[in-house]
Amino acid sequence: MLPLAITAYSVVCATGYGHAALLAALRDRRGPLRPNDFTAQALPTWIGRVPDLECADWDLPAPLTAFRCRNNRLAWAGLNTDGFTDAVAAAVQRYGARRVALVMGTSTAAIDATEAFYRHLGDPQGGPPHLRQPQLHTPHSIGDFVQRALGLGGPCFTIATACSSSAKVFCQAERLLRMGLCDAVVVGGVDSLCNSVLYGFGSLELLSPDPCRPFAVDRRGLNIGEAAAFVLLERGGRSDLALLGYGESSDAHHMSAPHPEGLGARLAIEQALLRAGRAAQDIQYINLHGTATPKNDAVEAQVVASLFPASTRASSTKGWTGHTLGAAGSLEAIITFLALRSDLVPGTLNTTQLAAECGPQVRLENVTARIRCALSNSFGFGGSNCVLLFGREAA
Amino acid sequence: MPATQTTAETELAELIIAAVNLEGVRPADIDPEAPLFGAGLGLDSIDALEIALEVSRRYGLQLRSDDADNRRIFASLRSLAGYIQQHSKQPGAQAGQALSPPQ
Amino acid sequence: MSAELEVAVAGFAAWNPRAAERPQPTILPPNERRRAPDTVAIALQVAQAACANANREPAQLPMVFASTYGDLAITDYMCSTLASAPTTLSPTRFHNSVHNAAAGYWSIATGCRQPYCALGAGAYTFANGLFTAALQACADGTDVLYVAYDSEARGVQTRIAHSHGMLGLALVLTRAGGPCTLRLGILEQQATPQTAGDDANAMADCLPLLVALERRADDRLRLPLGPDSVLQVQVRPDSGRGLRKD
Repeated sequence: MLPLAITAYSVVCATGYGHAALLAALRDRRGPLRPNDFTAQALPTWIGRVPDLECADWDLPAPLTAFRCRNNRLAWAGLNTDGFTDAVAAAVQRYGARRVALVMGTSTAAIDATEAFYRHLGDPQGGPPHLRQPQLHTPHSIGDFVQRALGLGGPCFTIATACSSSAKVFCQAERLLRMGLCDAVVVGGVDSLCNSVLYGFGSLELLSPDPCRPFAVDRRGLNIGEAAAFVLLERGGRSDLALLGYGESSDAHHMSAPHPEGLGARLAIEQALLRAGRAAQDIQYINLHGTATPKNDAVEAQVVASLFPASTRASSTKGWTGHTLGAAGSLEAIITFLALRSDLVPGTLNTTQLAAECGPQVRLENVTARIRCALSNSFGFGGSNCVLLFGREAA
Repeated sequence: MPATQTTAETELAELIIAAVNLEGVRPADIDPEAPLFGAGLGLDSIDALEIALEVSRRYGLQLRSDDADNRRIFASLRSLAGYIQQHSKQPGAQAGQALSPPQ
Repeated sequence: MSAELEVAVAGFAAWNPRAAERPQPTILPPNERRRAPDTVAIALQVAQAACANANREPAQLPMVFASTYGDLAITDYMCSTLASAPTTLSPTRFHNSVHNAAAGYWSIATGCRQPYCALGAGAYTFANGLFTAALQACADGTDVLYVAYDSEARGVQTRIAHSHGMLGLALVLTRAGGPCTLRLGILEQQATPQTAGDDANAMADCLPLLVALERRADDRLRLPLGPDSVLQVQVRPDSGRGLRKD
């Protein structure tokens, strides 16, 4: 496929606001995960909570207040970070609002508002009126909100394929642009802390009671995180960063467990390489899915060990951010951009001893190295896999 | 011919059938000594979590998937009923009657 | 009008919203069947019938699944339980609560390792799903299975979600030519979703296309695609070729 220019991006996650804060945390190996202080009932795990998201700075302005909930607040913070709104406004100026599409990814959407609506059922007043807005209670609440916030008029929908959601948005963007249906696409992922995912992953006994340790021999599960991550892609845009390829596949195995030999993951990686016209030895870094659950990491480590040479560095950055689920694909795409642009190749946080399944690719320490080609892996519930291949042109 | 169920095993069989929606299976169809997982009823890991949740609600007994003894505890209806009988924290007539020891 | 997409419908199937009982998704292995919620049963039923009518092997088809709400009964269970006794949440129902549950079950049932997309677009979900499926067929030159479905809002849900009855439609779209051609284009125009009706299913925007396919007559539909855009669908049956449906 033809490289697709990445012309702007913004990020908010547990490391704070903006990509400079994220890069600094990666560089300093500062882990912002903290003991769960989100749920009303005790749930012994750690979380990747966005600091000060409750601050009045992120209250939605008047025309958007009907959309207020934690998820849209987080989205608003993301849009107003790293100059993203200005970059989109410039694209709208260049192409016209109808030629700018929006494809969002989420797993939680605004379910926090639906949860709140149910908590208020006993109230004689019926709870806060804005919670009765129907547009809050669908998976598309995030696409709807961002479309209005940015004033976009092109095609707009929301992908919800669990933890691959906001990786798959890049694939849809590429098809829209290739077929000439628009000139620019805003993609992104927003997932916020909520009871559904915290107690839900708790019910599956997938939550780690301590800070998650991806690929560790003694890993005990994941930590839920939250994030907003946005990326602007332009046909014919100018940038040193580009989407070079992508691969998508299904496991066809189980709703909540990966295929034991990672067949789907392997297919997605091979397809991404093929689309980009690259070989495994061209890949210098892989941002792994690496949730720190026993099954995901065992399968993913084996797939990477069997496909890539020892020179490919691979790591999970979930020790910094937690698993941000529907936002993880876009968040980790941005971490991959930072690695490509800064020459900081992140290692893996919290892990001291790697599991036996890990090949030489999986690294614990950060290194400084110039990388030109990198992958980002996302694998979700329902066996939905997506692998993105990004590159940086030599300056 | 399946071995005979105790009252406690029959009650647990009912709980399992409801918890994992085993349509068309009657409590008496579950051989108390046959494997619950894999072959037999064909239950899998998510069913184990679902059954553990129902057991904790009914009997006030926590069963965690990382318990090293799980393979033994969940081996059969009889082994699970026996484990519940030994470890149930729920006092009172209902649970006590339901969990008479295996014959 | 911006660029157009042209695809043919190789086969289709709908689930009768008047039927009282949910279909039995016999295509699923027993363990998955007993866990599958109603929306999955409907989606799989129409997907299976559409593939059969199109004479396509399900394992070969990439998929687009679209639903406005996902499974409302599961959302209701999840939110009720979280409000009262959150630590007793069912792990099975949690893993069924993902919006891609139907797509995941379908890929398991058919052994399909082709990619799927699961999406929502609020009141504009049907047209956006059709557009996305046609785009994938045209961009990648493959046949694509498109499945659109929504369930009924009951009890508390009726206060925040509007959907009556159960409805599902599946289409197999192809670039290789077929019994009925669809030409899709985006128009700048306001349109009222069919879903605005008081007793409508949230996926009721699929009904005009279903009627057109069943009538096998030329038609031009305008399906709401966004707050101020419509997806124009020109339906052109090939009189020489039969279009099977159930």
